[in-house]
Amino acid sequence: MATFVDRYPEEASVVKATLVVSFLSLGIGALFGLVQALHRTGYLRFLDSVDYYTILTGHGVLLALVFTIFFLMGLFTWAVVQSLERPLPDIRLSWAWVGLTTTGATFAAVAILAGLIPSIDMSADVLYTFYAPLMAHPLFYVGLAMFIVGTWLAGADWFLAYREWRAENPDERIPLQTFMVLTTMLMWYLATLGVAVSTVFFLIPWSFGWVETVNPLLTRTLFWFFGHPVVYFWLMPAYLMWYTVLPKLAGGRLFSDPLARVVFVLFLLLSTPVGIHHQYLDPGIAEGFKFIAMTNTMFLLLPSLLTAFTVVASMEHGARQRGGEGYVSWLGSLPWRDPAFTGMALAGVMFAAGGFSGMINAGMNINYLIHNTLWVPGHFHLTVGTAVALTMMAGSYWLVPQLTGKRLYSRPIGLLQVVVWFVGMVLMSNAMHRGGLAGIPRRTAEPQYQNFDFSMALGTVGEIRAGIAIGGTLLFVSVVLFLVNILLSAFEEPIENPVDDSLPEPLSGASGSPVVLDNLRLWTAIAVVLVILAYTLPLAGIVGDAGLLGDVPGVPVWVSANAEATLDLLTEVIA
Amino acid sequence: MEPKTESTVREDVPERPRGYVVGSAPDSIEREIGHDEFDPVGTLVLILGYFAILVVMWVFMYFVEFLGRGLTVVG
Repeated sequence: MATFVDRYPEEASVVKATLVVSFLSLGIGALFGLVQALHRTGYLRFLDSVDYYTILTGHGVLLALVFTIFFLMGLFTWAVVQSLERPLPDIRLSWAWVGLTTTGATFAAVAILAGLIPSIDMSADVLYTFYAPLMAHPLFYVGLAMFIVGTWLAGADWFLAYREWRAENPDERIPLQTFMVLTTMLMWYLATLGVAVSTVFFLIPWSFGWVETVNPLLTRTLFWFFGHPVVYFWLMPAYLMWYTVLPKLAGGRLFSDPLARVVFVLFLLLSTPVGIHHQYLDPGIAEGFKFIAMTNTMFLLLPSLLTAFTVVASMEHGARQRGGEGYVSWLGSLPWRDPAFTGMALAGVMFAAGGFSGMINAGMNINYLIHNTLWVPGHFHLTVGTAVALTMMAGSYWLVPQLTGKRLYSRPIGLLQVVVWFVGMVLMSNAMHRGGLAGIPRRTAEPQYQNFDFSMALGTVGEIRAGIAIGGTLLFVSVVLFLVNILLSAFEEPIENPVDDSLPEPLSGASGSPVVLDNLRLWTAIAVVLVILAYTLPLAGIVGDAGLLGDVPGVPVWVSANAEATLDLLTEVIA
Repeated sequence: MEPKTESTVREDVPERPRGYVVGSAPDSIEREIGHDEFDPVGTLVLILGYFAILVVMWVFMYFVEFLGRGLTVVG
């Protein structure tokens, strides 16, 4: 029985290339995470605190953007090819977007990492949220622009494959995995308009010095126009695996194909008109617009709850087919020794916990309690840091053998790895959430104030620090185990059946569901209208207040090289 | 114990051990359950459990964060 690499060797090479970049970024980003955890908690400090922000930016950009999106590009390529059962239309186009995204990501990474070398006058310590007034070296923004255009080309590649398939299958329902890829990419095209406009029209000319000022609130709002939907861009590959792969790993079948389609359509409609919920505390945006963003955000709970039901029901189906009984004891019949299954299931558990803290973040009033505190990184380490990252790593144990024709080096190491990640994240994110409730700030190397004690409702600050340091260390160990396992798998001999890669039909298939679900033009049009409704007036207000280019000079962040000039500039801005 | 190669397991041993190859769970299906026979009552129990935890945590937030401190935002 041939696996993916035997049927589509060229596409398998494309997927492997994206996964190599993804895993390399994961390794560097995880190392930076360890350095941060130990520095911030005071357990091990070998860097200057100024360099903490270089490490923080590298951690955020390499993990949240490069690791996740390169994995997505590989997974989506695999999903489109294998669900349409046809090769990509032109492999040169595929290699073009691999090259463009890789070059762009490399430029951005070089600009960030150069901040650690004082002799190079280049830095990009703008954190993952790269908006004004913090200014990075132009290479960072140029790299980002190339990266975004590369993702657009990747989407074009998948749409072209779909078009060819549609020409030959005019009356068929879109295969589920391709449907998921296309709806996600439509959401991505819409969402990246914000960051593309911000980067190309404002940040690049500003960093080159072609314009003196930009409007910080405008670049901030355009960033969050993209900055929240990008969360779903990370999450959708995890959902794709939860819906289409996890039921199979559990020994069952997807409970409902139509429900899965509804969920992806809802994400297309609702992902983008919510970004202002990241700006509840920003002056310059009227309360009413923030309230609308909050309402839209609460609607996003619906697809997540539908997913909880459908995915858990699919797992239960597998457990009961394997002899599971009772209300809860069927959980024991699931294949917990399979690292791919266990990793994804634990990722789902953590996502449920992240759902709670997400509701707190989304609530306009209660958000004030935790805004800019350690709670927020605690939240997104449950969502992107576990639901997404752990699903991607666990899914790799099942996916990579299909791309190489080689067995996984060690299933027990894989199992240990996903459990260590889970334990590490329980320690770290629990500590972060509770630290946030006590008011411990985020995004700082020095959270200790003079003559000030954080009052803890439960536990102590020392215990919080220990939780973060131990948790962060376990997470790094987990990444090392993952990378070693995947690397050693590459040296295995090719075998005939490296993995069980068949995907069973859903219990309830697409044929009985409304055809309108597959009408991508309709859903895109509604999504565009919703974005126009949510953003036109706030953006008009922001531009009306301070103009397109505003009046705030930039704060170049290569501080170590330009310390004096920066200090003068900061004094000027504050005065 | 890991096998020498997976192919020896798959070809020479008709009854593979449960969960031996990544993704091999379906091989150990004991009974086929179709759409109409499947009643996801276990899912309902888990989701109700999740909602119960959410309620407890909201109550915790209310007492610790609101009653334990003054109002964060006035006006």
